[in-house]
Amino acid sequence: MTIGGASMGQVMPSSAGAGVEPGPNIGGVAAVSDRKLVRKENWRLIRRRPGFIIGGLVVAFWVACALFGSHIAPKSAFGTQFPSGVAYPTNQSPNGTFWFGTDRSGRDVFARVIVGARDVLAVAPLAAILSVVAGTVLGLLMGYVRGLLDNIISRLVEAFLSLPVLLIALLSVTTLGNSRWIVITVVAVLFTPIVARTVRSAVITEADLDYVTSAKLRGETTGFIMFREVLPNVTAPIIVELTVRIGYAIFTVASLAFLGAGPQPPSADWGAQVSLSYGDLNAGFWWPTIFPALAIATLVIAVNLIADAVQSVIEA
Amino acid sequence: MARYLLKRLLLAIVTLWILATIVFVIVNVLPGNVGRQVLGGFASEQSVKDFNHRIGTDKPLLVQYGRAMRNLFTLDFGKSYSSTARVTTILGKDLFRSMKLAVMALLITVPLGILAGRFAARRKDRLADRAIVMTGLATSSIPEFVTAALLSYLLCIKFHLFHVYADPPDGTSVIGQFRYLFLPAMAMVIVYFGYIARMTRAGVANSLESDYTRTATMKGLSNTRVMNRHIMRNALAPTITVIGVQVGYLFGGIVGVEKVFNYHGIGLEMLTAIKNHDIPVLQAAVLVIGIIYMLSTLVADLLIAYLNPRVLMEVKR
Repeated sequence: MTIGGASMGQVMPSSAGAGVEPGPNIGGVAAVSDRKLVRKENWRLIRRRPGFIIGGLVVAFWVACALFGSHIAPKSAFGTQFPSGVAYPTNQSPNGTFWFGTDRSGRDVFARVIVGARDVLAVAPLAAILSVVAGTVLGLLMGYVRGLLDNIISRLVEAFLSLPVLLIALLSVTTLGNSRWIVITVVAVLFTPIVARTVRSAVITEADLDYVTSAKLRGETTGFIMFREVLPNVTAPIIVELTVRIGYAIFTVASLAFLGAGPQPPSADWGAQVSLSYGDLNAGFWWPTIFPALAIATLVIAVNLIADAVQSVIEA
Repeated sequence: MARYLLKRLLLAIVTLWILATIVFVIVNVLPGNVGRQVLGGFASEQSVKDFNHRIGTDKPLLVQYGRAMRNLFTLDFGKSYSSTARVTTILGKDLFRSMKLAVMALLITVPLGILAGRFAARRKDRLADRAIVMTGLATSSIPEFVTAALLSYLLCIKFHLFHVYADPPDGTSVIGQFRYLFLPAMAMVIVYFGYIARMTRAGVANSLESDYTRTATMKGLSNTRVMNRHIMRNALAPTITVIGVQVGYLFGGIVGVEKVFNYHGIGLEMLTAIKNHDIPVLQAAVLVIGIIYMLSTLVADLLIAYLNPRVLMEVKR
């Protein structure tokens, strides 16, 4: 039962790692059940944190909007007239009919805010997941294989980390094209080195532990040790990284959309809406800018509250 | 120190080279006829050809790459496609304006963040601490253009305290300019102060529990003296790193802020260059910001090494 790894040192008895090694098979089973226990306990602690509960509710709301937006919203996000054929008023301030008012083209801002959740939520989390997958593979390779490979990639990663991410993304998306997949790929590529660095340092501390040595002695392949032995023991920092990255991805994707590198009109994307309407702020038409801006703010804050809760439990 | 400096400089040069190469690849390797994009669909085939020849995009890529690298090290980026002015002239002016905004934002953010973090650390886990930490967490996750839009609504439209446009008319006094720039600067302060405050709080809280703090207190030093001479000096290292990185972020976020407040700095120039396919300006703007980013992290690292010689020992090992 000693083959658990350092990441759960606080839960395991202090004899961990020092005792007699049982057969690899038995040890493996015990380690797996230990890991499950720790995960269950962490999850219980995370669920209790107020930040997680509040953040979770807000995120759940926006995810529901993203999935069923056009059914929730009382009007169409793109329509500009009543069923009778009468055009909606343009730049109408919020009232009983148009809860968040209408924008300069007479579209219902409330409907657009609800429906617009889809644009950012279809892009940012996917970009974050892709960067975490790629960063994990890279980090495992760097941290476990070490040597020249690690040296070269490490230098590249360090160099990448001091690039202005938002500007490179802006430059890439405007030259490569505004499609959703390009935004996803660009953001994922730019986030990968950051994830790789985190995973690498977690892997390095694991690679010295007994269970890795015993796997090597058993004659397991490098790939098996990396993905089946080491990876399950570094999931904690990876999960933290994922939640943090989702927050940054939303930040980046929304900023890109505002700067014109993303969904184009008539898209209901929040950043694109702000971009379209902020010029009218001066004329007193605040609602088409402020409501989507608040939507972005609530979503990123909620995601960061979740990330903070996860981080403070796992890294405690 | 010399060895550390050398290592750090080398890394900076590699970074710059990678940045320049990425920018070159993005701008050049992609399909597309530059002359056609700049001159538009109605230009004759001959004028497109002439244009491509004049700017050199008809040469082999390797030649172009070599030229781009030479340009980078001589800091000469040629002429703008759209206005025929020299890129360095255009960007020089813009950069100065952006710098004013960035410096103002930093001058507010850094002391505010450090004071808030220090205040929070001394009241760790009490209400004031929680409030500062949670506010910092929330505000530092919001994109700058969002805080800019919210601020300009609240303070310009609702309460008429500031101007919606950040560009002061010509001949505005320094204090007058200050009033124009305050709001865009605040849009960035809100985003950046939280991170600095959290870093300082962690550093100070750590130092407060350390042996040297206990020793200093037991020696009978006053609390202020312990705080200023013993705790802050040790606690600030992570904060300085963060500030160095923030300067870089700041120049990314400034693009959105300049757009909201219609302030003609390097960010707005970039957006115009994107619209006009003005590649030399775009390329140079990204590189200039990259250089600022690099320099700020370099200065931060050196400052830490100076404040805390243990960093140098790490390198020697």
